[in-house]
Amino acid sequence: MLLLVEDNKSDAMLTMRALKKHNLANIVIHLTDGAAALDFLFVRGAYSDRNISDKPKVIFLDLKMPKVSGLEVLRQIKADERTKYIPVVMMTSSKLEKDIIESHHLGVNSYVVKPVRFEDFSKIIADLGFYWLVVNNAPK
Amino acid sequence: MKNDLHKLTIVDELIVANQEVIFQSKEKREVELDIANKLLTFQNDEKEKRAAELVIANKELVFQNEKKEKRAERLLIANRKLVIQSKLQKHQAEQLREALAELESFSYSVSHDLRAPLRAISGLSQVLAEDYAEKLDDEAKGLLDEIIANSDRMGELIDNLLEFSRIGKQPISLGDVNVNQLVTAVIAEQRLLDRNRKLTIEIKNLEKTQGDRNMLKQVFINLISNAFKYTGKKEEAIIEIGSYLENTNCIYYVKDNGAGFDMNYYDKLFGVFQRLHSNTEFDGTGVGLAIVQKIITKHHGKVWAESKVNEGACFYISLPNSN
Repeated sequence: MLLLVEDNKSDAMLTMRALKKHNLANIVIHLTDGAAALDFLFVRGAYSDRNISDKPKVIFLDLKMPKVSGLEVLRQIKADERTKYIPVVMMTSSKLEKDIIESHHLGVNSYVVKPVRFEDFSKIIADLGFYWLVVNNAPK
Repeated sequence: MKNDLHKLTIVDELIVANQEVIFQSKEKREVELDIANKLLTFQNDEKEKRAAELVIANKELVFQNEKKEKRAERLLIANRKLVIQSKLQKHQAEQLREALAELESFSYSVSHDLRAPLRAISGLSQVLAEDYAEKLDDEAKGLLDEIIANSDRMGELIDNLLEFSRIGKQPISLGDVNVNQLVTAVIAEQRLLDRNRKLTIEIKNLEKTQGDRNMLKQVFINLISNAFKYTGKKEEAIIEIGSYLENTNCIYYVKDNGAGFDMNYYDKLFGVFQRLHSNTEFDGTGVGLAIVQKIITKHHGKVWAESKVNEGACFYISLPNSN
């Protein structure tokens, strides 16, 4: 399972499309804000029926989101024993050094700047999906 | 009788002796007093002299004291001025910091908020072109291609503008720079990007220098990639890179036999978003040379160029000689 946390509708559409095109969209869960992502991961609120051991293989996390930001979601994921080994890829439009440092300080597994050109964007999403879903091994 | 006479003689003798003693001691005291007197007179003169000296010294002190008071007053005024100035400077520094923070948040929003919609325009146009290929005629497809090309170009412009503002803010970290090594690496990278070219590249002696390695690498990337680009339409491209010492400066140059530029528009050459060639002729955003100038200015150096249309261009960088 891949968890996509992205508030921008177009970016989400393009990401899903790129994954689908490369047959990587078997189970993609798309959530549109950080609060929902935390509820999902820690089995709270609307997701309290979920099985917590059913963890995503990777989380594609947008950095800039309303209410709970990507950095805050990342901080909570990496601070909790139950979720800290889930690979997190920060997806952002910002190349700000400050954000890159803060994300790595919090333990991000990858930091990716979303390109404007769709061809480049599509290739990056496909490469990331393939690497984290197929190539990489994370603790269960 | 005889005894009496004898007595008398002794008494006389004693009187005489006594008188002599009195006389002698008087004389002695007189001499002594004279000496003492002379000594006192001398000492007195000395004291008077010293007193006179002291009066002069005292006057001098009073004068110096007045001078010092005046200086103290002046210092006090200067000090007050400094306090005011330093308050002013603190205020200005604060304003500057605020402006800088504002600029940072501005470039953040430019980088994040402007790129996202562009990605949507470009990406969704692409999706439209792919998913509805059968329903769209050639004109519609051509229009979509234009939309995609333009939004991609705007993305490039934003990226370059951000890079330009980032370099402006970045402080220099000084170190030894082996320019020969740096240029060799840049050329190898450029060749990889453009493999099927007939190129003659000559690297002459390149002096070492002091500077920010990454920034100077950016300078050579921009100059050398320009040389590659603007020789693109030549049968055989010749690029020469070298350096020479002149006075206290070391001058590096990148010379090509490419399209060159019209010296009449020289004043626009290093401007941001200024181009001397159209996009259909040579692709570009007009930021590369502006970045070169900004970096070299930060290094207290100079950059200039000379060219003849269709015969080539030569770009010069002058940096303070560190060797």
